[in-house]
Amino acid sequence: MPDWVNLHFVSLLNGLAIGFLLFILAVGLSLVFGMMDVLNLAHGVLFLTGSYVAWFVAGPSPSWGGFLAALTVAALVGGAAGALLSLACDRLSRRTHLAQALLTLGVALIAAEVLSALFGNDVHSVNPPEALDRSVSVFGHAYPLYRLCLIAIGVVVAGAVHWIVERTLLGALVRASVSDRQMVSAVGFDDRRVKALVFGLGALLASVAGVLGAPIYGARPGLDVTVLILALVVVVIGGLGSVRGALLGALVIGQIETLGRALLANFASFLLFGALALVLILRPRGLLAPANGSRS
Amino acid sequence: MSSTPALNRRSLAWAAILLATLAVAPLWLPSYPLVTLTRILVFALLAVSLDVLVGYTGLPSLGHGAYFGAGAYAAGWVAIHMTQSATLTLLVASASGAAAAAIAGSVAVRAQGVFFLMLTLALGEMAHQLAESWQEVTGGSNGLYGIPAVHLGTIVLLSARAVYWWVLSTFVSGVAVLGCVAASPFGETLRGIRDNEGRMRALGYRVYHYKLAAFILSGAFAGMAGGLLATHQRLVTPADGGLGTSTLALFAVIIGGEASLSGACLGAALVVLIRDSLGASLGGRGPLVLGVVFVAVVYLLPSGLAGALRPAWRR
Amino acid sequence: MTIQRITRRGILGAIGASALAGLPGCRSGDKGSASEGSGARRVKIGLVIPQAGVYVPLGTDLKRGWDLFLERHGGKLGNHEVTTVVADEGDSPQSGVPAVQKVLQSDQVDVIVGVVNSAVALGSQDSIKEAKKLLLVANAGAGAITGAARSPYIWRTSFTNAQIASVMGQHLAKAAAGQRVYILAPDYAAGTEVLTGFRKAFEAGGGQIAGEAKPAFGKTQDYQPFLAPIRQSGAKAVFCFFSGAEAVAFVKQYHQFGLHAELPLYGSGFLTEGSVLAAQGEAALGIQTTLHYCAELDSPANREFVAAYRAKYDAVPTCFSVQAWDAANVLDRALAQATALDGDSLSKALASVGTIENSPRGPWSFDGQSPRQQVYLRKVEKRESGYVNAVVADLGAFSQPA
Repeated sequence: MPDWVNLHFVSLLNGLAIGFLLFILAVGLSLVFGMMDVLNLAHGVLFLTGSYVAWFVAGPSPSWGGFLAALTVAALVGGAAGALLSLACDRLSRRTHLAQALLTLGVALIAAEVLSALFGNDVHSVNPPEALDRSVSVFGHAYPLYRLCLIAIGVVVAGAVHWIVERTLLGALVRASVSDRQMVSAVGFDDRRVKALVFGLGALLASVAGVLGAPIYGARPGLDVTVLILALVVVVIGGLGSVRGALLGALVIGQIETLGRALLANFASFLLFGALALVLILRPRGLLAPANGSRS
Repeated sequence: MSSTPALNRRSLAWAAILLATLAVAPLWLPSYPLVTLTRILVFALLAVSLDVLVGYTGLPSLGHGAYFGAGAYAAGWVAIHMTQSATLTLLVASASGAAAAAIAGSVAVRAQGVFFLMLTLALGEMAHQLAESWQEVTGGSNGLYGIPAVHLGTIVLLSARAVYWWVLSTFVSGVAVLGCVAASPFGETLRGIRDNEGRMRALGYRVYHYKLAAFILSGAFAGMAGGLLATHQRLVTPADGGLGTSTLALFAVIIGGEASLSGACLGAALVVLIRDSLGASLGGRGPLVLGVVFVAVVYLLPSGLAGALRPAWRR
Repeated sequence: MTIQRITRRGILGAIGASALAGLPGCRSGDKGSASEGSGARRVKIGLVIPQAGVYVPLGTDLKRGWDLFLERHGGKLGNHEVTTVVADEGDSPQSGVPAVQKVLQSDQVDVIVGVVNSAVALGSQDSIKEAKKLLLVANAGAGAITGAARSPYIWRTSFTNAQIASVMGQHLAKAAAGQRVYILAPDYAAGTEVLTGFRKAFEAGGGQIAGEAKPAFGKTQDYQPFLAPIRQSGAKAVFCFFSGAEAVAFVKQYHQFGLHAELPLYGSGFLTEGSVLAAQGEAALGIQTTLHYCAELDSPANREFVAAYRAKYDAVPTCFSVQAWDAANVLDRALAQATALDGDSLSKALASVGTIENSPRGPWSFDGQSPRQQVYLRKVEKRESGYVNAVVADLGAFSQPA
């Protein structure tokens, strides 16, 4: 292995793990934004809900059963929340997209406060499931097994989402809506149900990401804002409405957050926001956005 | 429906009464409510400056706290290291806010709608990060503490009353200036850009320059509000210019009513009161109530409270 | 004639008593003089502690130590009936300084006790000095509070960051002689002071620093980017300072990424103090720290304190509990001597308090308004009750470094 890679191997690997976690989080935001032009500012709080569900259902030292139960609960809660949010935004669809974004902002604040009232204000740590709570040796470097599993899960989810978007009717509708919304409803599909379904799926993935991320990030007030900003950066850089873009964006941001921070410390934040600003100016619809084509 | 802020006898009378009440407040208010009122006035100036951008020009910014913070840090730094003159620190604060807005705005106003929102969010976060990292100047995460009291000529602005009257007079002047700008042809142009940018462009207006000018003007007054913060609080922390402040300011503008300066003031007062006073009696659940009010306003009152309260003949 | 005089005195007494009853709503400065002739002397104390954010465990312990002392002394300090007003400091000066101002102006307290975050202590100085009330810092460790920015109104019963860190620096310079040490602490006032204090003492003893890192305070959850450079720096040991939730995350990840097995970890005691140790579990085994208190100390005062604390709270006391206990302890002595409750009188009383011999941490006294106290070397060991910080050695008495 080349010297430099060996030196930073753990950081690179960590970047992959964080990147896949970010992908699971951000893909929903990307599809919703691309399909409906709704910027869901409540996406971060969905992640936080998942983290708290992990702590509450699985407990600080979860068993397999507990962890899987947490994943299920989070999926259900997230899906339901997403569908409701979609219906709420739909009522404002005659007004500007800004009004819808502001609505999600208000909902995010309310949800964050409710979480803080329910679970308290201090920081809760969650351990990975016992069987995964150890280190393994990867090419001679010690690395937590749980984070390796995250990479595996991320690949599976990416594959699943890609398959849904490319090979199912729902996916076709999503791609069509991203390209030409009015034509889709003109052809006769019930726009609202498709939207609720996609919104729900995206929110489901965000909560699940919250459960998966709990052993790394814990559950604390304020995490929702941190995570929302990361998701926004991923979505903007990768491209709205594009699964491939979300994956690319997530992996890039994952590396900036890990390898970037290891090499450049505080400067990494500037790099992050600078990249966001640059893309917003030059290519607002993102690097890999479908112009009006239907690539996923 | 364009809402021209016509200055007529009725609204002037109301304004005069309100001003008189505010002016004599320190004579009978105990010090803690007086401090809260001071904080409301500072925040109201910030909200009004944001309203110029959001309500009049149609540019929704989620990063306005950055210029507020820039002004506050500049005023604080100058007060510690250079001069304690109240007017000079205020001027430096406005200039810093304007400069920061010029830099950010040149980049930001190229975007529109929700993209503009995200871009201002990103720029605001960069400014926040700068405040946290630049320890030598901003004091890092501890903030800039030990800001001395400024003085106006020979009067030292140390007591709560003196600070209050200084903040009140600056606030009134600031709002008056912005009100005049809003009523001027420049303000009309901005409203035109908000309502139909394409048509304005077709009519020959250099939209980018007008937007940038509005951004800088808005930043200057946000910076001025920041200078008042430094005088009042004598401590500036990175959180003062962070996302929390920006969000709260946007809430104030939306709740109060987008195209109405008085609405922005009303929204600001409401936001601060809900979060601090009401929140304390509800066991710290102020932000929850605020969120509910905000969602209700977004749903039910598209023109905000000012729009709802405005008598029919003003529409 | 006699009957009339009695009646008049009675009426005057009744008016005086009802006026006193109404006074608590108004200015509190008169309380000292109002005590003559009414019997019960009262003092209103503002306890400013974090109830939100990364420092909540410290706030909880501070309150417990404070409440325990009051409970065992009949709710009185120095013959004054105590009313405690609790205010939430949060985890930053943005919430902390307004909390201090609120207890001063709105609740009109006589004394403020508490304050975990140094930035809050530094930011509130002006308000304290202007109000001329006593602030008894029960945690914040910034040296400037009782150093460069000293004021007669601000005293401390805890420690300074540099005090604890420099003791470890001295110790490691001998114990790890010839080995290079990597140092880390979060990027804020306390963290910077710890690193500076350690570095000065360590390098003065002949040690060499391999590298330094300062993760963002309160925002870093994933420490891997900071662990990676440690191996590359060629360090043979690591010294760090983390507190609360950050200590849990850091120690666990230090273990998960395999550094625990290769590089011994040293720290300022807060790294393994209190509830964080239970959360860290096996990852904390073998970590050595210096601190001015250890729950395992074998002295009569400490045994009694630990037993009482355990009985009431079903938890092991921490240095934070002791700091608040000692704040009450010291106020008990000062209030007994003081003539009034304003900052100047209390400050004078504190200056003549002398050595506190019955403290759970061992005997200590004020030196420049901050404690001169014993600092202990501790090591995390596993006992039947769980993981504890066992006392390895008493390194001597130390004051705050210059």
